[in-house]
Amino acid sequence: MERVFYMTNIESYNKIFMETFNVEESALHDLQYQGVKEWDSIGHMTLISDLEDTFDIEMETDDIVDFSGYEKGKEILKKYGVEI
Amino acid sequence: MSIMDKPRAVEKFRKFYKSLRKNDWKIGTNLRVLELVYSNACNFKCKHCSTRAPLGENANALMSIDKVSSLADEADALGIFEWNMHGGELLTNAPILFELIKAIKPERFYVFLTSNGFLITRDIACRLAEAGVNRVSISIDSFNPEIHDEFRGVKGAYDRAIKALEYVQEAGMDPYMNITVGHFNAFSEDVENLLRYSKEHGYQTFINIAIPSGNWQGHMEVIIDDRDRERLIELRKKYGNLNRDLWNPFDKNKEGVLGCQTMSKLYVTPSGDVFPCSFLHIKIGNVYEESLKDIVDYGYSIKYFHDYREKCLAGEDAEFIKKYMIDKKMSVMEPLDAREVFGARDMVNGSEIC
Repeated sequence: MERVFYMTNIESYNKIFMETFNVEESALHDLQYQGVKEWDSIGHMTLISDLEDTFDIEMETDDIVDFSGYEKGKEILKKYGVEI
Repeated sequence: MSIMDKPRAVEKFRKFYKSLRKNDWKIGTNLRVLELVYSNACNFKCKHCSTRAPLGENANALMSIDKVSSLADEADALGIFEWNMHGGELLTNAPILFELIKAIKPERFYVFLTSNGFLITRDIACRLAEAGVNRVSISIDSFNPEIHDEFRGVKGAYDRAIKALEYVQEAGMDPYMNITVGHFNAFSEDVENLLRYSKEHGYQTFINIAIPSGNWQGHMEVIIDDRDRERLIELRKKYGNLNRDLWNPFDKNKEGVLGCQTMSKLYVTPSGDVFPCSFLHIKIGNVYEESLKDIVDYGYSIKYFHDYREKCLAGEDAEFIKKYMIDKKMSVMEPLDAREVFGARDMVNGSEIC
């Protein structure tokens, strides 16, 4: 029988950042918008979209604009009931 | 200034993203950018000019600032989220350019200026950034300064363009190096040198393919072929900072093609004529006579501009070029009229929509 592994919210959150911006887990804490070349406006849209799909939420424009970094993102997701 | 400082622009950008995703990453009928040739006055004499500015065409024609403002309102309402200020060279009249930026309410758009860079100083770059410009695209034709200068018809053009890119970056705007790639240079070391330079300096590179219009009208030999196209994809993967209108910028594998950007990338001349793209001088309406929405609806009723096309109509589709462009007398100032060019068979569902 196939075993199904469920990721915790923090694991999912980190995975999205690492895959979208091609960074190591150790670099996540300080990661900011435009801090790496992959996190430009194009990368931002992909990030937001992947977070919305994963956590089944739809973010307001103001929150998309305010989503300025890895840590800030955790605070924003809290507003949508997602505890990281 | 980043687009993230412009919530209204982000809102529209996000709708665009979602719509593309829903449409299997095909452009569909999603509007993206309005390119306004505010003035065709120019300080250069470029050999490949698409607006025939070196011939002095249209140098004094300007759209009124009020009209620009109302056009921007219409564009915003239609979801257009990028605004490209085009010439000519708009910095030949900087005071008017800054009035123009204010008139469009730049907080609603990702605003960019297409320039030859010759008149961009550190001060001008800072003022553009403060005014709300997000990106400046500077055209470079060759990594060899002499070739660039000869192509542009002005000595010192290369050095000033390279310096301008630095000033743009320092001022916090997105620096784009625009290069033209045709059959004549797709495999050249010169193009590779430009791409390497752009990447090393943290710029984006925007590739315009050579199009047989403007000063190159009828020159089929400049068109890229399948081998050249493959080469561009190879370079896209190799450098990672290359952009073409019809490529999907969201594709991490650097392979996706959104499709020909006709209509998605509307082009408006100083006299108000609207073209489906900057290189296809076939007018689909005039903003002094109709609403932008009606013009867009009419444009999308023409199957060439409505249906998905993997190749650029004006620059890669040899059949279209031969049929509608090669021997037709058309320019930015004297465009063909789409209502005369296309017949019932060319319309979506095979019947003309009036």
